[in-house]
Amino acid sequence: MPPLLQLHQATIRFGGLTAVNTVDFAIAEGSLCGLIGPNGAGKTTVFNLITGVYAPTHGRITFAGHDLAGKKVHEVAALGIGRTFQNIRLFDRLSVFDNVRVACNRHRATGPLQTLVRLRAFRDDEAAVSRRAEELLEMFNLLRFRDTPATCLPYGEQRRLEIVRALATRPRLLLLDEPAAGMNPSEKADLVRLIRHIHREFGLTILLVEHSMRVVMGVCQTIAVLDHGMKIAEGTPAEIRQNRKVIDAYLGEEHAPLKAE
Amino acid sequence: MAEIPQSRAPNPKSDTPVPVWRLLPRQHLALALGLVAAVVISRFSGSIDAYLVDVAIGIGINVILAVSLNLVNGHTGQFSLGHAGFMSVGAYLAAACTVFAGPRLLGAAPGPLAHNLLFFGALLIGGLGAAFAGLLVGIPSLRLKGDYLALVTLGFGEIIRVIFQNVEVLGGALGFNGVPAYTDFAWAYGWGVLTIFTVSCLVNSTYGRGFIATHDNEIAAQSIGLDTTRYKTVAFAVGAFFAGVAGGLFAHLKLSIDPRGFDFTRSIEIVVMVILGGMGNTLGVILAAVLLTILPEILRPVAEYRMVLYSLLLIILMITRPQGLLNFRFGKTRL
Repeated sequence: MPPLLQLHQATIRFGGLTAVNTVDFAIAEGSLCGLIGPNGAGKTTVFNLITGVYAPTHGRITFAGHDLAGKKVHEVAALGIGRTFQNIRLFDRLSVFDNVRVACNRHRATGPLQTLVRLRAFRDDEAAVSRRAEELLEMFNLLRFRDTPATCLPYGEQRRLEIVRALATRPRLLLLDEPAAGMNPSEKADLVRLIRHIHREFGLTILLVEHSMRVVMGVCQTIAVLDHGMKIAEGTPAEIRQNRKVIDAYLGEEHAPLKAE
Repeated sequence: MAEIPQSRAPNPKSDTPVPVWRLLPRQHLALALGLVAAVVISRFSGSIDAYLVDVAIGIGINVILAVSLNLVNGHTGQFSLGHAGFMSVGAYLAAACTVFAGPRLLGAAPGPLAHNLLFFGALLIGGLGAAFAGLLVGIPSLRLKGDYLALVTLGFGEIIRVIFQNVEVLGGALGFNGVPAYTDFAWAYGWGVLTIFTVSCLVNSTYGRGFIATHDNEIAAQSIGLDTTRYKTVAFAVGAFFAGVAGGLFAHLKLSIDPRGFDFTRSIEIVVMVILGGMGNTLGVILAAVLLTILPEILRPVAEYRMVLYSLLLIILMITRPQGLLNFRFGKTRL
């Protein structure tokens, strides 16, 4: 079976800076992968390449048999790639419920004109979307905040809401950009459980960018390591922990071989 | 009207019969009531002082302008300064329809129905023409953000004004005269209700939440699969359509239109209504449109100090309620 997502020699240059350099990388359907590396290694840029925010200078990215070249961000999303952001990007003016509801738009049967006519089909459609949004919120214990403006949520809940919003688009591949940023150890433990749960329950493929070794080593089946835009290693968590290059570039001598973080 | 709750599908299990008025979605019920009220009140407007009726119709037109611009500037967050430009497109198109095509279409002894149909058609053409102009300006310029978009729309408004100033058939700089007096209370408020209905229905839906999402965070909106350019274009076209209709109503109220009546200050006036009402708050914007139309009339006695006082009041309002007249969410305690 061909991999779900594949990067062929993906390269992007910003002026003189090569942010991502000839990266080959493949993710099999149903796997849970990690992408790690020091700050500025190009991890988020890889995400932006996959989601169509940037177009690669060289190379090719394919997803589920589609070449992503020239696809706009919303078209890539429509193919089934959902993502969260390093710095939370919620819709501040919308309630928690509406943040999820608006993400269900892709699976709506009725168009904008029906919002005016409001026939039975439209009302049934809206009811189905509401039900789905509420189910998702319930599942992630956010239903109690249903009508709260999204910005008023506590930080951890905002991160969770962003994941729920991405799930509402029913993605096949979920990209999580530093979901553990700013979390304390117990929140990180919850997050690990949450990611495993999502992976299992939704039958998703997940790619995770993360600095917290506790989270990455805890959930990922395979890990790729970037440094200065180049992929320097790929393997299981155990292999990565032993890898000389990774220890030099990122993990550091003292805590790498023994235990992460 | 601002926060119409979603009409839920009636529970199929319940045995109680659905009341007749619940067969219509709540929004349509409000629309029907509003239209009927506009016509009924209009019947009595003959016995009211003509000056007051005139001001009331002016309020209606400004409500249309402000509510439609609110979809663009408030909900979708695309700062447009060209609303008066779209208004002028509608005004000239509708006036041209009734003045040039009207006599030919109406025949020898037209009844009131024929006049009304002609006016309705003229307003529709004015609105559609303005919407087309909206697409024409919108599609290339909506890639721009914030200040840049504001400048492009401002430029568009000026271009339109100069064009009308130089088209001799439409009166040129002297203005377009002899427009029939079709606009009455019912027309202005009927369209006002229709504008509020359309914008509210659009925004209060799963689809319409995309306008606000586009405003709040464009990248995130795209990442959940929303075509934000499409949303902006739709908002621009719908906003321009109603601006065009308002222009048509305005032309058939004043009976004479002049390109200078649709200049930059007119656009600013509408933008002020939207900001004062609280960007994206329909009820607040309606209230602001009413207030800002009445205010200059009330200030008439102070003659030359009128605009000074008007501006002063605006400044005071903006200082005391920067979040908009009716926006109470802003200061609420956070969780």
